[in-house]
Amino acid sequence: MEISRFGLLVFTIAILASPAISDLVLSKVDRRIYLTSQIVRISSSLKVENGGPEMVSEVLLAFPELQAKKLAYLMATQHEGKGKAKNSAAALPVEVASPKDMPPALTFYSVSLPKGLAEGDSFTFDVLAVYTHALQPIPEQITQADIQLVVYQESAYYLSPYVVKVQSLSIKLPDSRIESYTKLENTKIHGSEIKYGPYENLPAFSYSPIVVHFESNEPFAVAQELVREIEVSHWGNVQVTEHYKLVHGGARSKGEFSRLDFQARPNLRGASAFRYLVANLPPRAHSVYYRDEIGNISTSHLWGDSKKTELLIEPRYPMFGGWKTAFTVGYGLPLQDFLYKLEGKRFLNITFSSPMVELIIDTLIVKVVLPEGSSDISVSAPFPVKQWQEAKISHLDIDGRPVVVLEKTNVVPEHNQYFQVYYKFNKLSMLREPLMLISGFFFLFVACIVYMHADISISKSSASYLAKQQWEEVQGAIQQVQNIISRCLTTHDKLEASLRDLSRTGDVQACKAARKAADGLLKELSKELKPLLTFLHSSPSAAQILPKVEELVAKERELQEKVMAKHSTVVDGYEKKSGARDIENRVALQQQKLTALRQEVDDLLEFIDDI
Amino acid sequence: MAPPAKAITSPVPDAWYPTLAVVMLAIGLVLTASFFIYEATSSKRNSSLAKELTTGGVASVFLGFGSLFLLLSAGVYV
Repeated sequence: MEISRFGLLVFTIAILASPAISDLVLSKVDRRIYLTSQIVRISSSLKVENGGPEMVSEVLLAFPELQAKKLAYLMATQHEGKGKAKNSAAALPVEVASPKDMPPALTFYSVSLPKGLAEGDSFTFDVLAVYTHALQPIPEQITQADIQLVVYQESAYYLSPYVVKVQSLSIKLPDSRIESYTKLENTKIHGSEIKYGPYENLPAFSYSPIVVHFESNEPFAVAQELVREIEVSHWGNVQVTEHYKLVHGGARSKGEFSRLDFQARPNLRGASAFRYLVANLPPRAHSVYYRDEIGNISTSHLWGDSKKTELLIEPRYPMFGGWKTAFTVGYGLPLQDFLYKLEGKRFLNITFSSPMVELIIDTLIVKVVLPEGSSDISVSAPFPVKQWQEAKISHLDIDGRPVVVLEKTNVVPEHNQYFQVYYKFNKLSMLREPLMLISGFFFLFVACIVYMHADISISKSSASYLAKQQWEEVQGAIQQVQNIISRCLTTHDKLEASLRDLSRTGDVQACKAARKAADGLLKELSKELKPLLTFLHSSPSAAQILPKVEELVAKERELQEKVMAKHSTVVDGYEKKSGARDIENRVALQQQKLTALRQEVDDLLEFIDDI
Repeated sequence: MAPPAKAITSPVPDAWYPTLAVVMLAIGLVLTASFFIYEATSSKRNSSLAKELTTGGVASVFLGFGSLFLLLSAGVYV
């Protein structure tokens, strides 16, 4: 009923409307309507001819209001011959137009032609119009066993403000099973294709409603809301996170659902349901995940080659009409594929929409999270979008990262085009994160130092506190003593080394020089030792350890003497040119004592160290 | 895109992150250990503040970069 009433309305408008606004004539119109998926695509090829004397540079396209609401994407390209590649076709600018004296129930778009048409000239161009939610399921509710039938309404005649000379229409359906279709003159059916026309010499605003009712079990996957978050890290990653709220937009499911039936005969019991979605991710995508609020969803498959990465995801349950699901897909992309530098500015060049195949998105929100410290942010998108900025606090942030939010409704795969976000960034800002980590660790160390150095006892006059302080002083003195003794021992080692050098080179002078230096050093050390020992003598809390320290000092002195004696003996021997064996024999006894003493000194040092 | 645009890469190749994390954290932890050994063994009077601060400072530089690379190699791109 509604359909015919609408048709009548338009027809009346057509009669009332003034005749063509300009002298343009559409000499040939070929329309092909693809109903093979839930997204309706109408590809038309129009040949315009200027029949009047005035130059014309714009062509109007008319859409009934109902269709205009569902129109998601409109593109006009110059028609190239069949032999040329489609990509080379130049896009023509399309704008919303509101010409005067036109019926208000129609929405107009104007296509600007590359050059004006003089009288008698003609120009051919293609128009691609993409509609969402244009297939209406009838019946609206089906059971699991039913097939899904949908209705599509169009006009058999091309609705245009111009006279159309020759036109034809073909409708491509997914299946040859057609419930019903409007039969007009010149209607032919070939398998899954219905052809109307050719019709000749129709006046402007001709309209003849047709209705096709057919089976479509294509996936009616509709994302009611998709939030895409693209996070740029200059440390080498672009992280994309996509939050889907998905619904099956076809005929609603009624009655009960039997998993057993579905599993046993999925083509008969659940033909209208879809089990999986396919996403074409960019090449070199890594760390791909697919999860929802419960956790990881294991039913996903990933293939990859150098050109693309294909991800197949299955929701937790088969999707029947009206059923909803929500999930998150995330993946990382290498930075160098998407981020570029141009004239001092950096820009991110990435696709706008979801990578899912044949998905309608009602509301798409794209958030581009730039690194902290980015400034002068601007967006260049190939189509109008709503945009604003916010901030996001993430890992190691102080004042949050700048986020550019882009919102667009009614998005189809044709919108999956590249867009650019330009911004300025100082390279030094990259050091923010490591500096924060470094300062964090450094504060820890400083806290330890402060704790060790601060005197945090409450009562400064208690006996235990004083004793402790005295003991610390003693400890300090003992450490210094130890330090001096170990320096003495290194001097001894040096002397021994000089003796070894002597036996190798025979350079007596060098050995004597070493002896002289060692003498001086040892004297100084013993001078340093004196005040420490007197302090230890006077301190009562050192009473216990004092004998050991004194023993250590005494032993060391003995050791020192022995080393000196040995040194003198050997040097004497060399000066007197005694044989090496002779010297060795003479020193042998001393050497034994030396080793024993050294052992004792080491033991004592260790003992004192343990206190 | 326009040809003069130059691709931006990370300052350090991604493949180095795990190695860098291990090496720098190892050095950092060794320095931390020596810092705490020094704190615990030297008595209050003899310890030199400069030595403590330099050990702590160098250790925190290594630990800081080490933990940054650890985060990056684990997939937390800061």
